[in-house]
Amino acid sequence: MEQFITHKVMLVLALIAVIAPFLAFLTYALGGKRQKSGVVSTVAIAISLLLSLFLAISAWNRELLHVRYDWFTIGTNTVTVGILVNNLSLVMLVLVPLVALPVHIYSFSYMKGDTGLRRYWMYLSLFCFAMLGLVVADSLFLLYMCWELVGFASYLLIGFWYERDAAIKANKKAFLINRLGDLGFLIGLAILFSEFGTWDLAQLFGHDGLIAKEGGADASYLTWAGLAFFLAAMAKSAQFPLHIWLPDAMEGPTAVSSLIHAATMVAAGVFLLARVSPLFNDTVLMTIATVGSITAFVAASIALTQRDIKRVLAFSTISQLGFMMVAIGIGQIGTAIFHLVTHAFFKCLLFLCAGAVIHEIQHQKEKHKLQIDPQDIGLMGGLRKTMPSTFVLSLIGAAALAGLPLTAGYLSKDALLIFAFEWANYQAGFWVFIPLLLMIASGMTAFYIARWLFKIFYGQNRLSLSIGKAIHYHEAPVLMRWPMVLLAGCCLFFVFSYNPLVFEDTWLLNGLERTDLLQRVNIYHTVIPAAINSVSIVLIFLAWRWYAKGKYPLKGSGMLYDWSYHQYGLNRLYEKGVVKPLLFVSGALYRFDVKIIDGLVLLVANLVELSGRLAAWVDRYVLDGAVNGVGNLAQGIGMLLRNGRKGKVQRYLLGMLIVFLLMIIYANFI
Amino acid sequence: MIPLDHFLIVSALLFAIGLYATLTKKNTIMVLVGVELMINASVLNLVAFGRYDKVLFGGQVFALFVIVLAAASVAVALGIVLQVYRHFKSVDPTDFDSLKD
Repeated sequence: MEQFITHKVMLVLALIAVIAPFLAFLTYALGGKRQKSGVVSTVAIAISLLLSLFLAISAWNRELLHVRYDWFTIGTNTVTVGILVNNLSLVMLVLVPLVALPVHIYSFSYMKGDTGLRRYWMYLSLFCFAMLGLVVADSLFLLYMCWELVGFASYLLIGFWYERDAAIKANKKAFLINRLGDLGFLIGLAILFSEFGTWDLAQLFGHDGLIAKEGGADASYLTWAGLAFFLAAMAKSAQFPLHIWLPDAMEGPTAVSSLIHAATMVAAGVFLLARVSPLFNDTVLMTIATVGSITAFVAASIALTQRDIKRVLAFSTISQLGFMMVAIGIGQIGTAIFHLVTHAFFKCLLFLCAGAVIHEIQHQKEKHKLQIDPQDIGLMGGLRKTMPSTFVLSLIGAAALAGLPLTAGYLSKDALLIFAFEWANYQAGFWVFIPLLLMIASGMTAFYIARWLFKIFYGQNRLSLSIGKAIHYHEAPVLMRWPMVLLAGCCLFFVFSYNPLVFEDTWLLNGLERTDLLQRVNIYHTVIPAAINSVSIVLIFLAWRWYAKGKYPLKGSGMLYDWSYHQYGLNRLYEKGVVKPLLFVSGALYRFDVKIIDGLVLLVANLVELSGRLAAWVDRYVLDGAVNGVGNLAQGIGMLLRNGRKGKVQRYLLGMLIVFLLMIIYANFI
Repeated sequence: MIPLDHFLIVSALLFAIGLYATLTKKNTIMVLVGVELMINASVLNLVAFGRYDKVLFGGQVFALFVIVLAAASVAVALGIVLQVYRHFKSVDPTDFDSLKD
């Protein structure tokens, strides 16, 4: 009985944790224009964080918490709605507010003085609510609703500065590509419902669930459902070739980029795949692994040459999401989620550092009235001395991203690579390309993040040099620094494991996977971390020589460089291959519509009008004519008879006499 | 003894003359005279048929009644004619056409 009560209490707490940001959203939505302070949002997310931490401590590694109620009934199938909390949801339930809270605090300083603050806090709270709802939803249908809602909130926040043309284009692009993924989700939902008649996650994917029994469902349908869900995850988690919306999404405020487009929302695709993972068969898993590895490689190679401080990080995010997809594809759900968590911390940290730098340069730009792009890393440099805290924090984030020892990124990335190599051992020979691509991507990661770091913080102050005037930078304000410190703390190994070098001891991984898989069974566990890290260190040293010392040996052009800088020409390809034909087709359809369909409609309308006129004519002249004719006849007869009566008394008398005589004649002689 | 036929012939002539006068005269007084003639024709008939009632003399008595009634009706009719004349400034019955619509 006591157990039951605690269950109930925990579920209520989870519900409160989800609803709190929604209440904040309502406060801003209904509160009128005077609601500008972010305190309500921040308090709400802090409440969510506290509750979810409490939940995580008390419910970790216990049996799952699940409550559901009937929602509505279609035919004989009742759709339920409820909350499902297991270790997977707990991880995300803690992660989302834990990343969101620093971002909220950071926003106080970063967004100060913006005219749309009320909208900003409103959208941010809406996003947090949707994301928290997404992780605890117990039915795919509810998950889908939250999925749409996070996409919508992301759309609103990308276009937050709606007076900028680029922002509007970017959010349109993000929205359209996400719609494509949502279509996949919808198809997956439809297939599952037609096969099993339920969307309940526990019923479908539980230990003795419908999928596990493998009865009553057509295997090919399940393959299609798996691919459909993967399409959804591809769009949301920016997998190649649907990744093109994410770099453009950097038009939003940097704090938003860090929370939504680096740490949480883009990870929703990975989370979805983790949730429905029992559905996948080998075909789907191979597809996921292939797409993930290509994404990891392509995005990392594009990140090598980008000049925009946020764009490098955006492509890095895409690349890391590719890593997570590979983990899903090789069946390592726990590793995927582990990497998701560590990535959320260090990528959010890196974005916030970038935001601090952009904020400062924007400040200088306005102060000196310069015509520069504040996000161009070519103009930065030498910031190490003037912004030391930001530098140290970026260094931690970059080290975690590169996967250097002592960081959390080391643990998760090595786990991922080792599992990928082990998996390739059991596959046909050519599948080894997946771990190899990941290896190369990992090396490129170390290089591009080192380039990013050294270009910003080392070398000369290129902005001062280029305008010939001394520019003095200042350290980021306190409200921006402390959230970054908190995130930097989470990027270090001790948050996840007491042993900085061996991932097998990570509590998070042990909570998500069966532990018997996590033995140091072969040589990979030693060789791979050593190899990767030596390669990384060499590459970082190379980057240091090139960018920090200014001994850059290449000419900064050439085919490969352009290929990478222009993002493999994908945007142009889509422009020519998808957008233009679509516009052409829609134009043709428009003309077809105007000429043919409208013509037909007009023709029908004219015919109807004509028949109406005919009916009116018949009515007026035939029907009314008959009625009027009867009337006129009666009137005519009346007039005719009346004509004899002229008011002559003697005539009347004569008439009476005649009638009288006629009556007599009639009576007597006829 | 004068046979009944002679009375009836005279009576019929009288009635016809009265009727003719009533229908054709352009003077209301003459119309009234025609009406009187017709009444008297009927009185003559009553008296002539009265010979068959030698006990009660119903014909003669009725004739007396009719004469009295005719006198009264003439009085009334003349009053009406006077009023009509005042109204129409005419005694021609063809002018009395206010009954037509």
